[in-house]
Amino acid sequence: MNTDYTHEPSVIEGKPTLASIDEVVIKPTETMPDKKFFMAIGFTMTLMMIGALSLGLSFYYGTGMWGNNNPVGWGFPIVNFVFWVGIGHAGTLISAILFLFRQKWRNGIARFAEGMTIFAVMTAGIFPLIHVGRPWLAHYLFPLPNQHGLWVNFTSPLLWDVFAVSTYFTVSFVFWYVGLMPDFATMRDRTTNKIKKVIYSILSLGWRHSNRHWLNYEMIYLILAGFATPLVLSVHTIVSFDFAVSVLPGWHTTIFPPYFVAGAVFSGFAMVQNVLIFIRKIFNMEHIITVDTLEKMNKIIILTGSMVGYAYAMEFFIAWYSGNQAESFAFVNRAFGDYAWAYWIMVSCNVISPQLFWIKKLRRSIPFMFMIGVFVNVGMWFERFVITVTSLSRDFLPSSWAYYKPTLVDFGILIGSFGMFFTLLLLFTKTMPVVSIAEVKAVVDGAQPSHHGHDEEEGGNKHE
Amino acid sequence: MSNNEKNKHKFSNKPKDTKELLNQLGDEFKPGVTDEFKLEDMPEKSRRRFLALMGASAAFAATACTDYRDKGAIVNYNKKPEEVTMGKANYYASTLDNGLGILIKTREGRPVKIDGNPEHPINKGKIDVYGQASLMDLYDPDRIRYPQMYDESTLEFDRFFKKKTKWDVIDKKVIEKLENAVASGKEIAIFTKNSSSPTFLKLLSDFKAKYPTTNVYSYDTINDSARDAAWKVCYGSEKFPGIDYSKADIIVTFEADLLGNDGNTVEQTQAITSRRNHEDLDNFNRIYAVEGGFSLTGANADYRVRLTPEAHLELILALANHLAKGSISSISSYRLDSVISKYGLNKETIHLLADDLAKHSGKAVASAGTLHSKETHIAVNLLNEILGAKDLYLDNHYTQTMSNSSKEELENLVADMNSGKVEVLISFEANPSFDLPSDYGFKEALKKVPEVIAMTQIENETSAHAGFLLPVNHAFESWGDFGGRVGVISLRQPVISPIHDTRQKESLLLTWIEGADKYSDDNYHKYIMNRWQSEEFPKIAKIGSFEKFWYAALHDGFVTFNPQMGEGEHPQIQFNYNALNALKPVSKSGFTVVLANSMIGDGSLANNGWLQEIPHPVSKVVWDNYAAVSPSTAKKMDLKDNDIIEININGRKQILPVWVQAGTADDLVYTEIGYGREKGGTVGSEVGTNVNILMSKNSGLSERIFTGAKVSKVEGEHKLVATQEHHALDDDFVKDFHKIRDIIQEGTVKQYKEDPHFLHAHKHEVISITPDIEYPNEKWAMAMDLNKCTGCSLCVAACNVENNVPIVGKEETSKGREMHWIRIDRYFSGTPDEPEASIQPMICQHCDNAPCENVCPVVATTHSPDGLNQMVYNRCVGTRYCANNCPYKVRRFNFFDFREMFEDGYQYSDSLKLMNNPEVTVRARGVMEKCTFCVQRITEARQIATEKGEKFTGAGITTACQEACPADAIVFGNVNDPNSAISKLAKHDLGYHVLEMLNVRPNVTYLAKLRNKHTNGGHGEH
Repeated sequence: MNTDYTHEPSVIEGKPTLASIDEVVIKPTETMPDKKFFMAIGFTMTLMMIGALSLGLSFYYGTGMWGNNNPVGWGFPIVNFVFWVGIGHAGTLISAILFLFRQKWRNGIARFAEGMTIFAVMTAGIFPLIHVGRPWLAHYLFPLPNQHGLWVNFTSPLLWDVFAVSTYFTVSFVFWYVGLMPDFATMRDRTTNKIKKVIYSILSLGWRHSNRHWLNYEMIYLILAGFATPLVLSVHTIVSFDFAVSVLPGWHTTIFPPYFVAGAVFSGFAMVQNVLIFIRKIFNMEHIITVDTLEKMNKIIILTGSMVGYAYAMEFFIAWYSGNQAESFAFVNRAFGDYAWAYWIMVSCNVISPQLFWIKKLRRSIPFMFMIGVFVNVGMWFERFVITVTSLSRDFLPSSWAYYKPTLVDFGILIGSFGMFFTLLLLFTKTMPVVSIAEVKAVVDGAQPSHHGHDEEEGGNKHE
Repeated sequence: MSNNEKNKHKFSNKPKDTKELLNQLGDEFKPGVTDEFKLEDMPEKSRRRFLALMGASAAFAATACTDYRDKGAIVNYNKKPEEVTMGKANYYASTLDNGLGILIKTREGRPVKIDGNPEHPINKGKIDVYGQASLMDLYDPDRIRYPQMYDESTLEFDRFFKKKTKWDVIDKKVIEKLENAVASGKEIAIFTKNSSSPTFLKLLSDFKAKYPTTNVYSYDTINDSARDAAWKVCYGSEKFPGIDYSKADIIVTFEADLLGNDGNTVEQTQAITSRRNHEDLDNFNRIYAVEGGFSLTGANADYRVRLTPEAHLELILALANHLAKGSISSISSYRLDSVISKYGLNKETIHLLADDLAKHSGKAVASAGTLHSKETHIAVNLLNEILGAKDLYLDNHYTQTMSNSSKEELENLVADMNSGKVEVLISFEANPSFDLPSDYGFKEALKKVPEVIAMTQIENETSAHAGFLLPVNHAFESWGDFGGRVGVISLRQPVISPIHDTRQKESLLLTWIEGADKYSDDNYHKYIMNRWQSEEFPKIAKIGSFEKFWYAALHDGFVTFNPQMGEGEHPQIQFNYNALNALKPVSKSGFTVVLANSMIGDGSLANNGWLQEIPHPVSKVVWDNYAAVSPSTAKKMDLKDNDIIEININGRKQILPVWVQAGTADDLVYTEIGYGREKGGTVGSEVGTNVNILMSKNSGLSERIFTGAKVSKVEGEHKLVATQEHHALDDDFVKDFHKIRDIIQEGTVKQYKEDPHFLHAHKHEVISITPDIEYPNEKWAMAMDLNKCTGCSLCVAACNVENNVPIVGKEETSKGREMHWIRIDRYFSGTPDEPEASIQPMICQHCDNAPCENVCPVVATTHSPDGLNQMVYNRCVGTRYCANNCPYKVRRFNFFDFREMFEDGYQYSDSLKLMNNPEVTVRARGVMEKCTFCVQRITEARQIATEKGEKFTGAGITTACQEACPADAIVFGNVNDPNSAISKLAKHDLGYHVLEMLNVRPNVTYLAKLRNKHTNGGHGEH
């Protein structure tokens, strides 16, 4: 055989027929949920109910049910908010930025990652509304016209958050939906169930796989990818402004925007990687979501993990270099104060553990990479905890220092947020194609036009 | 275009004549627009009908869902009392139980704020913390609402089960019992607290005349008996005259918390701080505090000497000997240097003290604490004699009033109670079961007294055993008069009719003298008037009508007069040197236990949540008493905070939680009485530990200081809650941050004399990239003079009352959720043995570049045109971002509806609701709040100026904290008014802002504390 060094190896293993891809991807939506599914969703919904109960208690009695106190005005809810917004970032990066960079390996995982973005942002979006003292007035945060002529405060980063998160959700959702249209059409064509047919017909907006459709589709997908790309950077930048715009030592730092974005991508990739390990196994998609793909994700985890580690070091350096006592104490206090335990959990999970991915064998080992992914997520949650809580608990006036201790209700809401996220994910796997059929078909070996000309006619889904 | 703009536009077209104007106005409402709106007349399908129905249903839905239901009718006065104007406060002069003259502010008939009577010659417009908080006692929901009596037909132990009974029935029954007692020759015992009321004394003698077997007993846990006894031994006269500290250059205290809780603290604070004036450096006083426990006076002293109280005697006598140069033979064996080496004192400090005393002879004074031993007081009297301190005694000095019954009297009473000789015991708003040292056995003996009559406002340990439970009026519902000082007699008048079915306690005795059918609501009122007419009026006024005199006296709240011959002059005093023969040094053995007193006094104020929640001025602990021990003692005994120790004084045992307090003397336990009430009401019961049971009828060193105690660590833990984090003083991690961060900036008097600009020598200019906002009219600002502020926390109490600040309780305080708008920050520097305290009141700084304002997403906190940082409660959703971004951490968040959460809605009780200041919003849960600079007072002053058409300058406005501050450490005003005091202080050489480098431009200026050291101390570590 001639070895063609210009030929990229396929990101899809084997040479599955296009029909078999339809079969594999759509199968979960065509079969009745089995016992395992009910057990899984039963579990996640239980978690969600714990969250709902905790929220109910908070609404009934007040935010005092949480551990927040006078110096520490923000506790778990804000930590959770930043965490979940961060999780969302991997989806957009994979689907939009990697798309623009023509990274074909992202085709197998883009759909799922985008789904996670949507659900993570939905989960995150709850927190700014529930963390306020009077949640029944949370609509004051939106610029709603009212007869009092009262308007929102455009200098407040919290307001920027409102816009950033809602824009992010809207764009991500539209992007996701546009990508789903050809797949909905495929499902419409396959299904024999009348009700499903109606639903899929509506959702596919009359898609007929025509050449003209594909042309328009490619264009709008490209434009939306262009739209979504700056959002990857802007959303977490703005979230970081919640801290960076304040005057508090430990918050008032210019490094926050890039550092938050890197952290968000870091934790998002870890979460996507974690969940995909299960998906590819359960739905027999190991040849579509290959170990190679996972390895590439792990490489991004090393990269972003190192960036985060660099940021940690730089924060310390700048705190010392600034010569500002309050500033340098804030960082020394993180590492050696009352919350040192949280800081060192953060450092070991975020900085040390991903470095093990330099070893190729570990990077390609499913159990190992899963473990590191979990570490990264734990570490990134603690990063937000460290930033939010330690800075507040000991700021300028030593007279007003206090230790923050979360309550059971705080943990209940955190657990509930995981319950909500995974419940939505589980419902997603049974109702929609978790892999973009059209995009995967485009990168199957042999699907592309070839210079040799002998299998040109096979390229039904030209995707260049 | 909005309607406003439209209208403006319309009226800007000036009509040429009236006719045109009329035409224009006539056209304002076009025909049809104002047609009567009749739903039934409209067509079936019409836009207007649809909108009308939609609008109505939406409105119904909205009202059905709203949380703000009408909760009751507001009923106006049918006939308005002449002196009441709705919305306008009235002020009445009256007097507190401790003789301080007050002005009671009432709104629509309800007392809402208490402050000192500015005219009053003793307290001059200021009152103590108890007085500030006493408003809550008036409205206390635990007050007994009706008289109760046991059913005579039931068995004896059923006396606990009392029934609601009418007053006239009770009167008849009591008179019958009293007459029976007299007839059978049994004793009637009246147990009261010490009173200075001349009319009450007359009432007692009248009572005795009517019921000859009556004996009166009095007891106060906090009393002057040791000081008075020492005075009597030294000078032969009855009562210690008191000291005018404003005349003293050098003050040396021996376990005397003059600025905290010892004696008339208001008067003392006024006097002492008047001599810490940065504009009068030559007359700056110097305070030396010699003490075992860390008191507020110690925290404010220029030099503090840590010395266990039993050694004070030796030090005082050594000082006396040193100053007298050995001329007094009986003390010539006490040598300064041997005392210094024996107790390891700082030689330099003691010699500075001795030199200062010698140098300022006639202008130096020593004072021993109320709780100190008689021997120490004798020694202090000697020292003052040598110092020539006679000139410093008060002009209106103390006169003899009631004093504690002697030990023998009380022992006899208990014996008679046990033997059945006492038939009736009347507890005259006293609580001997709790107050008396337990080894009298009063509590047990009380059960053997056939008839116990308890007059009280709320249930207490004594009333629990009473067959008659008679609720009495609060001070603000009562009449009374107060003496105790030469040339001044104060009056008390009621400002509200009794809230419950209660009677004034004096009036009860009077009724029992005069007969049950003679009772009238104003019988004691008439009784006082009669006595005044016959006794005081001829003495004081001599001319004019009594009516006029009486109403003038009531209006003023007091009368002053030139005392009769002999009464006014200082007693001709001659020191009796024989008194010194009895003085012997106390040998040290075991632990010394000091039972001091704090915010809740002797425990009678335990049910006042405001007082319980004011942090201890030194330790910042709330809702508890504790055993303060020194760090080295703690180390020796392996103790840490919250551990439990058992104190054993001659078999009297009590366990107490430990608080490691830097500056405490070694082998000493410093704790506070009044806590651990068994029956102290909803709030006051079971708070802290009852250390009264460590007291004994046989005094130790003194009634409240015991030596030779055994202290041992026992199992367990008790969580103490403080409002400030507790750090070990030698913890390098967080040491001296208040100085490093320029939160506290200090200097010495000498340094300031040499270089008035010393504070600003190293300062950089902070520039802003945004233009400054102009304040063309008023701009409010405050100055806090740290030379004068003692940290007494009166401002905290006053602010609570003025601004309806809720009580949150111990549990919530432990989570850091206390709601105080003003707090007193206390920092320690130095070493664990010789700590130096810095005190700083902290409130909202009303920054020009307020960091809280720009981060609020809903514009709920804004800047007013007169420079106030405002909170809009209605708009606040509670993101808490403002509190996070506040560098001073003065914002307070309503994590709960604390009124609802604290003790099952205690603060929503009907009576406590009456207490709220109607000018200040009661904040909902989920809302941020903070100091407003008492904006309600500013607004009121502005309204008055507008009404009168005067130019408003803001002169004369005081904030609640300022009004309460006995040291006048707080100055508030319009900084744009060049005549105002604040405009000068804001630019003062000693002025600085906390966290200046943040450039948030606070409007609260702190005037740096000048310590009156001998050295030029230098300015921190810069």
